[in-house]
Amino acid sequence: MSLEVRGLHAGYGRLAVLHGIDLSAGEGELVAVIGANGAGKTTLLRALSGLLPVTAGTVHLAGTDVTGYGPEKLARTGLAHVPENRLVFPSLSVADNLVLGGYTRRRGPASARAEARDRAMALFPRLEPRLEQAAGTLSGGEQQMLAIARGLMAQPRVLVLDEPSVGLAPRLVGEIFSALGQLRDDGLTLVVVEQNARAAFAVADRVSVMDRGRVVLEGDPAALSTDPRVSGGFLGGGFAADADADAAPAAEAPGGTPVVPRSGSGATRATERT
Amino acid sequence: MTDLLQLLFAGLSQGAVYALVAIGFVAIFTVSGVINLAQGEFAALAGLVAISAVGSGLPLLAAVVLAVVSVALVAVIMERLVIFPVKRMTTLVSLILTLGVSTGLKALMLLVYGPNAEGLTPLTPGGFSVAGVSIRYQELWILLIAGIVSLAVYWFYERTLAGKSLRACAEQPVAARLVGISLTKASLISFLIAGTVGAIAGVLASPIFFTSWESGLTLGLKGFVAATLGGLISVRGAVLGGLLLGVLETLTAGYISTGLRDAVAFLLLIIVLVARPAGIFGRSAEARV
Ligand SMILES: Nc1ncnc2c1ncn2[C@@H]1O[C@H](COP(=O)(O)OP(=O)(O)OP(=O)(O)O)[C@@H](O)[C@H]1O
Ligand SMILES: [Mg+2]
Repeated sequence: MSLEVRGLHAGYGRLAVLHGIDLSAGEGELVAVIGANGAGKTTLLRALSGLLPVTAGTVHLAGTDVTGYGPEKLARTGLAHVPENRLVFPSLSVADNLVLGGYTRRRGPASARAEARDRAMALFPRLEPRLEQAAGTLSGGEQQMLAIARGLMAQPRVLVLDEPSVGLAPRLVGEIFSALGQLRDDGLTLVVVEQNARAAFAVADRVSVMDRGRVVLEGDPAALSTDPRVSGGFLGGGFAADADADAAPAAEAPGGTPVVPRSGSGATRATERT
Repeated sequence: MTDLLQLLFAGLSQGAVYALVAIGFVAIFTVSGVINLAQGEFAALAGLVAISAVGSGLPLLAAVVLAVVSVALVAVIMERLVIFPVKRMTTLVSLILTLGVSTGLKALMLLVYGPNAEGLTPLTPGGFSVAGVSIRYQELWILLIAGIVSLAVYWFYERTLAGKSLRACAEQPVAARLVGISLTKASLISFLIAGTVGAIAGVLASPIFFTSWESGLTLGLKGFVAATLGGLISVRGAVLGGLLLGVLETLTAGYISTGLRDAVAFLLLIIVLVARPAGIFGRSAEARV
């Protein structure tokens, strides 16, 4: 199922945060969205999953206009959102968290629910022995796995994730991202918001860079990872701070976040929209 | 010794009524952060509806069912008219709104049923005496039915998908919305539960404690104190809080002074709020309902 976002505007009350976002993810594609703190990444995902009203622009899922759908309807249509900070249900068991993840499919066939659960367990075998444990007692990494597994229980065709790697040890980050890669290979469409550009670039098919509510660059990860504007300004130095990152000289003054018009970034627009 | 047993028994049946009212507070507060000051009025209204239905010739059981169903309906209508339309509900706003509903219900009851306190016909009249402790059959009914209702509510939250979805709303409203649970539906269901348990408390208590248009005030306060003893977010805590309050009240009335009876609730409330705001039966702050 493809995801197509056109000219999306959204914000909080009178505060406009997103100023015309274009983003597309084809079926079975993993798109990473990176950007500094406050760039509007979380706001974008909230608007996509219906938590925030879209004030202008459109969202299409597999060609169907789903703009203005609420979270429940979007979940039933096939979009699941794994939120920032995991937000597992702490006093409920891991098993109950998973059951609630499939809430919109509760009247669907039991076989489909069992299959979704088996796939989630296969992806994160660490959860299996902890099914009866209260979710709040899981480690941070396990909670992240549970949050993703809970999202998968909705049997989505498009999965959007908000900073799945935040606060995790490098080995766990690897584990989570290889799971995401596996989901992509199974045909799921993924949009992953990340600050950990290194991890995101390693698995992404395409990357969009956000700054102050706009997509300022997009292209394939290989081209973008050496782009001085990425390592320099847009991540607030996050990418360059990685010890073994390509230390491309920052073209712009450090600290300053130059807004480069998207039309001016032709060189990095390596992939055509579909 | 006989005195003590007698007081304990009376305290437990009184406490069971508080426990049911307390469950109503917990059911609503966990889902939406609303403190429902009309919770006591649910009980009073159910008592009065049942009394007048019996008075107009309905069999007792039918009158009780009518009372519980109509009060549950009142609770649901209250949610739709007063709670649902508010965009940004805070606990303070909820206090003001539900105080308004409470006052309105009281005025309505005074208008319709008059100022006198009356008692509903007991389910089984009379009583008996064991080892010097006199027991009314109605008190046994209170304990039995309150026990069954509490267990049923507990089972609902712990074992059913609908109950778990309400707990999910209470713990992580954003994540609950993302998995497709409707917060507005959850709030409605929480009022349905609160109306039902409040009404059951009202019809159970009426034969012994009598009902008037204003009896919801004390019952509501006692129920609120019981719920707070349990941390306001736990059904188990609410039940234990209700029983503890009932027993302490009758012991105080029996051994110290009847006049101090109603002071016990406030003393307990102050002690708990100062010493253990999470409730004395609270597990962790996270373990809700
Ligand atoms: N609930 C809210 N109410 C008002 N403003 C908000 C709210 N949430 C976010 N904002 C503002 O919207 C802007 C974008 O925030 P957003 O959370 O989308 O950024 P982000 O890219 O996800 O940042 P981070 O990487 O830190 O998670 C920020 O300026 C923030 O202050
Ligand atoms: Mg964010």
